[in-house]
Amino acid sequence: MHTLCTGYDAPAAFSRRQLLNRFGMGLGGLALADMLDTDTTAQSRVVERLHHVPSVKRVIFLFQSGAPSQMDLFDYKPLLNEKHGTQLPAEIRKGQRLTSMTGSQSSFPLVGSPFKFQQHGESGAWISESLPHTAKIADDLCFIHSMHTEAINHGPAVTFVQTGSQFPGRPSMGAWLSYGLGSENRDFPEFVVMVTKDKGGQPLVARLWGSGFLPSRHQGVRFRSGKDPVLYLENPAGIDLVSRRDALDTLQQLHKLQLQTALDPHLQTRIAQYELAYRMQMSIPGATDLSDEPEYIFRDYGEDARQPGTYAANCLLARRLAERGVRFIQLYHPGWDHHRNLPQSVARQCRETDRASAALVRDLKQRGMLQDTLVIWGGEFGRTNYCQGKLSEANFGRDHHPRCFTIWMAGGGVRRATSYGRTDPYCYNIDESPVHIHDLQATILHLLGIDHEQLTYKFQGRRYRLTDVHGKVVSGLLA
Amino acid sequence: MAIRHGFWIGLFIGLTCPGVVRAEIPAEIDYSLHIKPILSDRCYKCHGPDAAQRRADLRLDQEKEVLGRVITAGEVQESELFRRITATNPDERMPPITDTLSLTAAEIELIRHWIDQGAPWSDHWSFRPPRDFPVPEVDNDRWSRNPIDRFVLSRLPGEGLHPSPEASREQLLRRVTFDLTGLPPSLNELDTVLEDPTGHGYEQAVERLLQSPRFGERMASIWLDIARYADTYGYQVDKDRFVWPWRDWVIEALNQNLPYDEFVTWQLAGDLLPDASDRQILATTFNRLHPQKTEGGSVEEEFRIEYVADRTQTFAAALLGLTFECARCHDHKFDPFTQREYYQLSAFFDNIDEAGLYAYHGKSIPTPTLLLIDQTVKEKAADIEQRITFAEEKLQAVAANRSTAFQEWISLPAEQRAFTRPDNQSQEAESTEEKLDTSDYQLPNSPGCIAYLSFEDGNEQGTHQLVPGKQGQAVRLNGDEGIRMKVGNFRRFEPFSVALWINTPDEKSRAVIFHRSRGWTDAGSQGYQLLIEEGRLSASLIHFWPGNAIRVRTPAKIQTDQWLHVAVTYDGSSRADGLSIFVNGRRALTEVVRNNLHKNITDGGTDQILIGARKRDRGFSQGLVDEFRVFDRQLSGLEVAQLYDGDSLTSALQDTEADSSGQLREDLYRYYLATRDRKYLEQLATVQQLREQRSKLCDEFPEIMVMRELAQSRPTYVLKRGAYDARTDQVQPGTPGVLPAFPNDQPRNRLGLARWLTDPAHPLTARVAVNRLWQMCFGQPLTRTPEDFGSQGELPTHPQLLDWLSRYFVDHDWDVKQLLRLIVTSTTYRQTSSASPELFEQDPDNRLLARQWAHSLPAEMIRDSALVVSELIVEQIGGQPTRPYELEVSFKPVDREKGPGLFRRSVYTYWKRTGPAPVMMVLDASKRDVCRVRRERTASPLQALVLLNGPQFVESARVLSERLLRKHPENMGQVIEDMFRTLTSRRPSASEHKTLHVFYERQRARFTNNPDRAGELLCVGDTPTNAELPKEQLAAMTMVANILMNFDESVMKR
Repeated sequence: MHTLCTGYDAPAAFSRRQLLNRFGMGLGGLALADMLDTDTTAQSRVVERLHHVPSVKRVIFLFQSGAPSQMDLFDYKPLLNEKHGTQLPAEIRKGQRLTSMTGSQSSFPLVGSPFKFQQHGESGAWISESLPHTAKIADDLCFIHSMHTEAINHGPAVTFVQTGSQFPGRPSMGAWLSYGLGSENRDFPEFVVMVTKDKGGQPLVARLWGSGFLPSRHQGVRFRSGKDPVLYLENPAGIDLVSRRDALDTLQQLHKLQLQTALDPHLQTRIAQYELAYRMQMSIPGATDLSDEPEYIFRDYGEDARQPGTYAANCLLARRLAERGVRFIQLYHPGWDHHRNLPQSVARQCRETDRASAALVRDLKQRGMLQDTLVIWGGEFGRTNYCQGKLSEANFGRDHHPRCFTIWMAGGGVRRATSYGRTDPYCYNIDESPVHIHDLQATILHLLGIDHEQLTYKFQGRRYRLTDVHGKVVSGLLA
Repeated sequence: MAIRHGFWIGLFIGLTCPGVVRAEIPAEIDYSLHIKPILSDRCYKCHGPDAAQRRADLRLDQEKEVLGRVITAGEVQESELFRRITATNPDERMPPITDTLSLTAAEIELIRHWIDQGAPWSDHWSFRPPRDFPVPEVDNDRWSRNPIDRFVLSRLPGEGLHPSPEASREQLLRRVTFDLTGLPPSLNELDTVLEDPTGHGYEQAVERLLQSPRFGERMASIWLDIARYADTYGYQVDKDRFVWPWRDWVIEALNQNLPYDEFVTWQLAGDLLPDASDRQILATTFNRLHPQKTEGGSVEEEFRIEYVADRTQTFAAALLGLTFECARCHDHKFDPFTQREYYQLSAFFDNIDEAGLYAYHGKSIPTPTLLLIDQTVKEKAADIEQRITFAEEKLQAVAANRSTAFQEWISLPAEQRAFTRPDNQSQEAESTEEKLDTSDYQLPNSPGCIAYLSFEDGNEQGTHQLVPGKQGQAVRLNGDEGIRMKVGNFRRFEPFSVALWINTPDEKSRAVIFHRSRGWTDAGSQGYQLLIEEGRLSASLIHFWPGNAIRVRTPAKIQTDQWLHVAVTYDGSSRADGLSIFVNGRRALTEVVRNNLHKNITDGGTDQILIGARKRDRGFSQGLVDEFRVFDRQLSGLEVAQLYDGDSLTSALQDTEADSSGQLREDLYRYYLATRDRKYLEQLATVQQLREQRSKLCDEFPEIMVMRELAQSRPTYVLKRGAYDARTDQVQPGTPGVLPAFPNDQPRNRLGLARWLTDPAHPLTARVAVNRLWQMCFGQPLTRTPEDFGSQGELPTHPQLLDWLSRYFVDHDWDVKQLLRLIVTSTTYRQTSSASPELFEQDPDNRLLARQWAHSLPAEMIRDSALVVSELIVEQIGGQPTRPYELEVSFKPVDREKGPGLFRRSVYTYWKRTGPAPVMMVLDASKRDVCRVRRERTASPLQALVLLNGPQFVESARVLSERLLRKHPENMGQVIEDMFRTLTSRRPSASEHKTLHVFYERQRARFTNNPDRAGELLCVGDTPTNAELPKEQLAAMTMVANILMNFDESVMKR
């Protein structure tokens, strides 16, 4: 059974035995992570069961950084094609704020999508021709067309999705889960981050997977695409595994000699810390080595998947880490910020992500893992229905639009073959069932068995939550 | 004296750590210490200071609301509050059963006793000034060395505890050396203390450490967390910034033991001190270290407000220990601070000439700034300044004395007065001009026109529409794209003029008429520009807007739907009075908006004037422009008038009465000087040369962000829900009402605020500082929530000691070193950190201080230790940030150094906010995004990987081995002994020694069989390997050092 803390972090300087005795729990009750926590300053914890039965055990978040254009991918708006080139009506814009990139623009011509849309699957979901593979799994997906956010620029908006606040300093979602649910896993970090290599685009920053005010062990571990997936995972040149094992055994002997002289939980922590490090050294290279994957997997994910650091390779790696019990796997694929050259750029981004995203969902399903995994695909906000800069026949761009955008989710507990929420025919405002970022976060936590109002951490006198003081679980998204 | 407070500690533990220690009911209950924390945590949310969230119009944080209304003193059964917290009816129960929070039985019991005792009320403990507690007398005290010990010791018997014995001399020296310098002791230093016959060896070591230059570096690493110091701006784009001179100031100030009150006063308000020195002004960079933004499309005011908020919150967190941030959007939920008070406090920090965005293009430093130049350079600058003044005065004198020459010229027949180029015009200018079609000129008698757009030939308008113009055709601008002219990259010492006809269809709140810049806020507006702002014409030359620029503006709005002739002329002086706007041929009255230009306006710029639009700025939409001309000189009034009416100059030149007197003569005289008079033009050239010299000199001056008060206060508003664009009431600078009153004799600015803060009677300043210094020496502070001294914070474990130390600190002129001396020489500090099982069971968190506290070393100390033991360390104080090995594998990799920079102390490591030094991050360093007054300490496997495999550590292990192998050739036992001692400050036990020796032999055998592996291992790091040592020996000993550097005692402070 999972354990969950709702109050504070684990107490300082207790031995594992004492801790277990104190809370009257058996050995299974505490994850190893708790034991590793003995060096934090004194704060007691309230250990409870999960708040309700979880639908999923893990999350794979396919973050499309830069903000994909909803009306060129999922939110079909024929009216925009009809009104192509005409001005955005003032009654639609309602004087809402724009970015300072187009705020000074003197005209706002509407742009219809150059992509053809068709309905797919039993649900008849409208999907753009640029996503042929996603179209094939339409019935596994739940589209949310009515996402909205508060931020209007990338930095604050991505930070908002990941931490529930637009400004630096709060823990990220994966860190909250690591803190709330502890570790399932002795060989891998609980929270892994992978960023598509060499993508340029809007810069990503390490605090997006940071632990904020939570203890730093909850921060996401970024897997690199090079020889060391984890910082300094590999032994230095000249030290093989036998030597390393010998060294660690000797180190353990030294620590045990010390334990004989003093009761010191730090020492037990230290011993566990080095054993875990060794296990990571043993397990992670195997997990990141894709050479044991059969040919059909590469056909499915695409040839890109052979290339370390591509989105496709990261999707495949996400599945392998999910199999190995990593709880929160966060991918970032930058490059969706299409202020100009949108038609070509959307097509390119889709080529890079469509096949692998669909393959991942299918692969998880084949393995029976989709039922306890939550896959999320989406960016930080949407894009404007009007053109940024010059509208020409073959070319145009779209600015940031926080008032509506589309994401999709798939997996356990999520209503499949569903399109949730509706935007107006101009794709500017939401007509029906808005879902705020905090609602999405509340729903994600709900699926994991957590009441978002109860996963709190007291810092500077206040109990903080991922959802700040907002958010409601969106029942219409739940199966 | 009897220790009255002895009883409540057990209770306190019970309250804050449920299940850890059983709660006890103290004999005498203190509201502030016992009751308020409960009410605050469970009830204030709905019945507290926040008016917006308050239910039933009841607040439990105020005496008059509580006593009489919901509590009847002495009468539990008559007290509604008690009835509600014990109600069995779920509708009546408080806190509501639907709430996630509830009261424990012990807490209810405590409240019952308090009411029974008459519900005595008192103010929050930390808002009362520190009290003058007498030092307790303890019977038969042979333990105490100083008052700290007596406060600690007096509490122990009541708890059935005894102090722990003193740590060994070696451990103690190791502890104090780390605490005061952040580094381990050397073997010599250990020997000195061990062999000390005087019994004062420890005290002498403390003196040595306090005087060590390493002291400032150690203390600075704490202050850098508080000050959210980083070498980059942060947020998303995160460019490098130049702030390290401030870090060096901190180190120097700490080494010089600047008294704490001055240390904070300088940082808050050094610029406002009388005759402020550069060092005092430099200290104020503290306020500018928050993250700054440049992401395209950001709203400037949104981030400016964010900066002000960060400064305010940092002030409160760092110096008052208060979580003021909570009151930004609404009244504080737990502490008696209103939202209005938040903005009153923020008004102190709102008053500098800054922008909310820094420049993406170019290198201009966000204003206000300080030029970091030494005395020699200052003298050089002053010298040039003086020479310019003389030359300008001489120019004035020349101008006043050319009447004779003028008379000669004016007496010539009209046709001979016509313009002929003076000889000193450069060939280049001449050839440019000759390319132009001079037939279009309306200024046949003036030089210097370098570009002209008439919109007549149909090739100049781009995508814009041609319409009937002032003369022939004009262009109607679409506001989104500009019309380019390939000229105009004027430097600030070069005079120039731009003239054109405009016609605006409506009153523009903002419109770019023309500009030469790489962007608006994306470039700090650097360049020059003519704008319509709120219907008025505004001309500027800008290095960084707003603090480094000149701007003049017409006070009158311009007419709409009418052709107006506008000219901007500039004399190259870098002064606002050298910048003029002409409307319809007459010099317009202007007001000076800014007059502070002291750097170039051309960083990265090119010859390109853009008419009618600027990226991300508002263009001159639907505005008409005609007859656009650019001159590389300052036009005289008569010339501008000629451009307007096509006649003024022509007629004047032909006017036979022109030599009479009056305005016409004066105008012609000016025109003559500006175009004809060789003597005047020569002197003008001299002035210009000097200005050029000044400009070149100033461009080299390093500049750093500091505070400088605006002459006229910027109005500060309460912002609804904290939103930058939701202004409500205007507020004046002020401090929170529950804290001491703002002194009447102090100005309402940051200096007054600093004086208020450092008043000896201030309840928080000394307590917060002392608490932090205690934390540094004991691993945990006396108030365990150093970031929160408010209602939700913990109570101090030793309130009397905290008060006594605070008063001691103030009484000793805020002497930091003296306070540290007192702490580290106390018997309390010298105790061993290992606890007996009984002590551990009874006081796991060490709240009674019956021992020292063991914890892992901070990131900097772990890495610096490796550098010290290998003697690779480069002990230079200050300078550029350094880039050690780890930076090439950070999330935002940068090239590492190859040289001494690899081996500098970690306080100097380049700190990039979006991808901080990864080893430091893994080892729990603060991220430096926001003010942090303590670090979490965790143990993760990633730390093990860093210490086992990181090249910095592997290289240090090898170099340490080399050093000891050379010192004790062929004596492996001695090498291991010394190595163990170097790393842990103690000698190994026989079993430890044997374990290591056996390991060494095994490894040596392995490397002997695999010499290539030995070679590979020895190549880690840039430091060359000593070729004389046998490889297998060195490699095996490196392995020994590698595990010893991972050994618990090497990375723990005990």
